[in-house]
Amino acid sequence: MDLGEIQAYAYFFFTAFLVAVLYGYIFHLYRSEKKGTRDYEKYGQMALDDEVSSKPIEKKEESVDSQKLAKGE
Amino acid sequence: MFHWLEERPFFFAVGVFLVVSFAGLIEILPNFAEASRPTVGTKPYSGLQLAGRHVYIEDSCNACHSQLIRPFKNETDRYGMYSLSGEYAYDRPFLWGSKRTGPDLMRVGNYRTTDWHENHMWDPLSVVPGSIMPAYKHQFTQNADLETAYAEMVTVQSVFGVPYNKPITMKDGSSETVKLGASFEEEKANMLAEAKLIAADMKNQDVKDAVANGEIPKIVALIAYLNSLK
Amino acid sequence: MGNQNPLAYDYTVAKWFLWATIAFGIIGMTVGVFIAFQMAFPELNYLFGEYGTFSRLRPLHTNGVAFGFTMSGIFATWYYVGQRVLKVSMAESSFLMAVGKLHFIVYVLTILLAVVTLLSGITTSKEYAELEWPLDLMVTLFWVLWGVSIFGLIGIRRERTLYISIWYYIAAFLAVAMLHVFNNMEVPTYFVAGVGDWYHSVSLYAGTNDALVQWWYGHNAVAFVFTTPIVAMIYYFLPKESGQAVYSYKLSLLSFWGLMFVYLWAGGHHLIYSTVPDWMQTMGSVFSIVLILPSWGSAINMLLTMKGEWEQLQSNPLIKFMVLGSTFYMLSTLEGPIQAIKSVNALAHFTDWIPGHVHDGTLGWVGFMIIAAMYHMTPRLFKKELYSKKLMETQFWLQTMGIVLYFSSMWIAGITQGMMWRATDEFGNLSYSFIDTVTVLHPYYTIRAIGGALYLIGIFIWAYNIYKTMKSGRELEDAEVNVNKSPMAENR
Repeated sequence: MDLGEIQAYAYFFFTAFLVAVLYGYIFHLYRSEKKGTRDYEKYGQMALDDEVSSKPIEKKEESVDSQKLAKGE
Repeated sequence: MFHWLEERPFFFAVGVFLVVSFAGLIEILPNFAEASRPTVGTKPYSGLQLAGRHVYIEDSCNACHSQLIRPFKNETDRYGMYSLSGEYAYDRPFLWGSKRTGPDLMRVGNYRTTDWHENHMWDPLSVVPGSIMPAYKHQFTQNADLETAYAEMVTVQSVFGVPYNKPITMKDGSSETVKLGASFEEEKANMLAEAKLIAADMKNQDVKDAVANGEIPKIVALIAYLNSLK
Repeated sequence: MGNQNPLAYDYTVAKWFLWATIAFGIIGMTVGVFIAFQMAFPELNYLFGEYGTFSRLRPLHTNGVAFGFTMSGIFATWYYVGQRVLKVSMAESSFLMAVGKLHFIVYVLTILLAVVTLLSGITTSKEYAELEWPLDLMVTLFWVLWGVSIFGLIGIRRERTLYISIWYYIAAFLAVAMLHVFNNMEVPTYFVAGVGDWYHSVSLYAGTNDALVQWWYGHNAVAFVFTTPIVAMIYYFLPKESGQAVYSYKLSLLSFWGLMFVYLWAGGHHLIYSTVPDWMQTMGSVFSIVLILPSWGSAINMLLTMKGEWEQLQSNPLIKFMVLGSTFYMLSTLEGPIQAIKSVNALAHFTDWIPGHVHDGTLGWVGFMIIAAMYHMTPRLFKKELYSKKLMETQFWLQTMGIVLYFSSMWIAGITQGMMWRATDEFGNLSYSFIDTVTVLHPYYTIRAIGGALYLIGIFIWAYNIYKTMKSGRELEDAEVNVNKSPMAENR
């Protein structure tokens, strides 16, 4: 197997992998919205409500995980 | 997993970088060695030609002239044999250009002469009525930078192994050698010898006098370069 | 932070870059209009001796608008948008403030030196990478400083999740860093040979390889200077100005990854029918077509953001600039792939259709977006009401006309030239000599130059309007500034 052939296989599988990841991402975006774990659309508000005194959509200190912990889930 | 990435800037950046660099790795790297092998008969540039190439770059001739003949009948009819990868093996940088405001120059040495170039660079309209190319009269009064050309020859020889002073097999089986002087003075003598041959075909008296006095105006170097494009 | 002095965004660096955007915009585009007139009237080549020829000025124009105007615009918006969507002020970190200021200083110094060296003919000849190695190092330095600024600000952010604009800025930063480093690999000859000009260098790659690396760079410099940061801008400024959140945030995320993956492949379309291997040319061609998807994903997302709010298009000139900008983005991301189809490329390559295509994107998309962004920022930076709405409207229509004249004349010129190059008579001989294909273009070159001049007049109006805003715009209270729609004098 010469370099060109390895290159071709590597290319094919890596592309296939990335396509799978991309579809996985689409799936993830819609599923997390449906299950209510994360509403991606609310991040769109970041551009509109952006004064330094505005309340962040999600504060940096409290991640989703720590919120869960606080709620005792 | 995806959201994890979205709120961790460092890993996010790594992810973006991987996705972005993939194309370059696949496209460019593996072909490198093969694409840089010279075709039979391709010679490195002599000192004077290289000095001329620097003039070509300094005045950005490549902004309007390509050096790439595509494999179409109308292009090969107009400019000659289509380009081969190995013909560019000593072109650092490549000068393919991206726009033909003027014609291609890949093989201009085959159909234009010293005399034609001299007239054309002095006053393009005198040889090509309707031309929109500017005249480049300053090339007749300023001298070419021979030291930098020599420095580049030494660099490409020692860093990239460009075969100066080595026999190169030509298409007809004969062999030719492109000289590189051991010192700048020695190389300057080579350049001057070549310049004298060019100047002999020119008619501008100032240029002829300069060459006779051991100077090389830019135009002489440029013509040496253009004549070498074959 | 003391309570008596409430925290506010610090726009010092953004203001500096705003000035730079306007100044370099005027310089770069004036040179552009001048060289456009040179192509129609070649006598104009002799006004400034060897420094005034088309060939010397062309790199000055491309570098001036790409790395002067556009990049200043990118940095100006970064130092504005970055703080706002991360909800953190630069006043909170004296380190980041110092980095920002140093970034500006090194950047302006580099661009000014670039003007001097390019005029002197010191160039590597590679398009959009003409600068010689000492300047390449300076570019690297200010780029690193920008990186420190981006990741530093992100490090102290209050907002946990990064807004989509930040994604695009990060991508622009990383990709340009990679492209710049690899395309500018060069060996300084003086340090090897000990003679000659110290600033001269020779490319690490030769011939076909050099071309391949250069167009991998050249095409993606377009991607990551003229596209991703501009998308970053529109994802912030259009929703903010219109008061409408992005139509689909999910689509914006998907388009992002799509664009990242696909764009880098498309560089090969600059080398179709050249001596690079066939499969790379085909790959360049195919991926250029695929590229329509993520590009249109972003553009359609922007247009849909205006859903139900289209009356703003009539009432707010800034929305006009941004909506037409997205439309030109769609036009040029459709035109590009068409030109990348092999048979079309055979005709279009090397002709004026290519500059025509570039200018759809740069004048219509990049230019309009930066103009709108600076207009939007001005009242917030100076707490003044925008001086004149009518001037903005005038500017918009002048510039739109300019762009239409530009690309329509270049379409005709390019196709005419391409057809004439390949035309043969009944015996298969070429019908036209090369000069016939040059002289025939004179009217189109003239129209193009006029179109460019209209656009340039618009740029002067823009500069004037912003200047007047600062000097004599009505002072605004905080409550008047902290709104979505930019405050502007409606009756002037």
